[in-house]
Amino acid sequence: MKCLSIEQIYLFIEKELPLSENKKIEEHLATCRKCKNALEERRHLLQASENLPLWQTPPDFTQQVMARIFPIRVPLSAWFTAAYAGFGSIILAIFILFLVTGQNFSSLLTSLNYSLWNFVRNLSPVFVKLFKVASLFVKTLQQFFEYIIKAFASLTTIINPQVQIIIITIAIILIAFSIYGIKRKILIGEKT
Amino acid sequence: MNEDKELIERTIKGEREAFEMIIQKYQQPLLNYIGRTVGERELALDFTQEVFIKTYSSLHSYKPQYKFSTWLFKIASNFIIDYWRKKKIDAFSLDQQEQDSDLPSLQVPDKEPSIVKKFEISELRERIEQALEKIPAPLREVFVWRHINEFSYEEMAEIKGLPVGTIKNRVFQARELIRTRLEEKA
Repeated sequence: MKCLSIEQIYLFIEKELPLSENKKIEEHLATCRKCKNALEERRHLLQASENLPLWQTPPDFTQQVMARIFPIRVPLSAWFTAAYAGFGSIILAIFILFLVTGQNFSSLLTSLNYSLWNFVRNLSPVFVKLFKVASLFVKTLQQFFEYIIKAFASLTTIINPQVQIIIITIAIILIAFSIYGIKRKILIGEKT
Repeated sequence: MNEDKELIERTIKGEREAFEMIIQKYQQPLLNYIGRTVGERELALDFTQEVFIKTYSSLHSYKPQYKFSTWLFKIASNFIIDYWRKKKIDAFSLDQQEQDSDLPSLQVPDKEPSIVKKFEISELRERIEQALEKIPAPLREVFVWRHINEFSYEEMAEIKGLPVGTIKNRVFQARELIRTRLEEKA
């Protein structure tokens, strides 16, 4: 048998050759130093190649992929809970306002309504003007608004609906207090 | 392998946990293949995710007579070919990749120097990793499949849609190119 090709050597090491060919190669290797050395060289290479270090995936890899395939959807029941939380917070806010101002419920609502109406009536012409001015800037501010929307969108994915409702309610309370405070200041001014 | 087919059937029926199990089973083999092919860890992690997403969306076209792992790696291989094409790197054509002088000789030369046996196994592994980055992508791909993913020649042929002989030849060329480049510094 003539000397082995390198491919034959690899296939022999990997036991990928037919038995009859294997036997002939074994006989040849017993007599050919050159092929035997070449075989040892490749065997060593394959041994090292078989145990190369493995790259590890991060522990949350599966969750990351699953989140991309199945984006989280808030169940309907969660929205109901959020609505209850929101409603409860508004009742609580009214109750706190009642305690702070000492007015009864209907007069509180009337004064709130009156304050709001005055607020809208007095400021609406200003808003119209502001809107006209703002519309001139819309084109230049478009990019900015896009960023804000993106940021808000990502915030809503982080904060759950209940917390969102609570934040909105707190904002409403703060606005109500501000209105009441402005009104009171005006009244005190009138008295003096 | 029937386990894979069962998991796919369950996934198609809407059982998310079944696909989660597929991801858990194949994430490391895929990352090792993609990672060694593209060379960057973060990019490889991104690509591995993309391959799973693509696999999920194509599950309806999976034919159960084929092995799932070969189908999955076929998707991954095509994904990487697209990536190279977008980067306008003709890395998946073997033509003109290597000059004739670089291609390994088919016969054992009369006075062949011993390269591999000079190194201890641990150092040799490091050098193989470095040399792997320097060989053409199609050869790197089959080397990784053979030695890291432990695919048979038949499986590799099925993934690439090439004759078994061609795959054997590519693996042999990859090994010999790596061997000749072991002495080069990183």
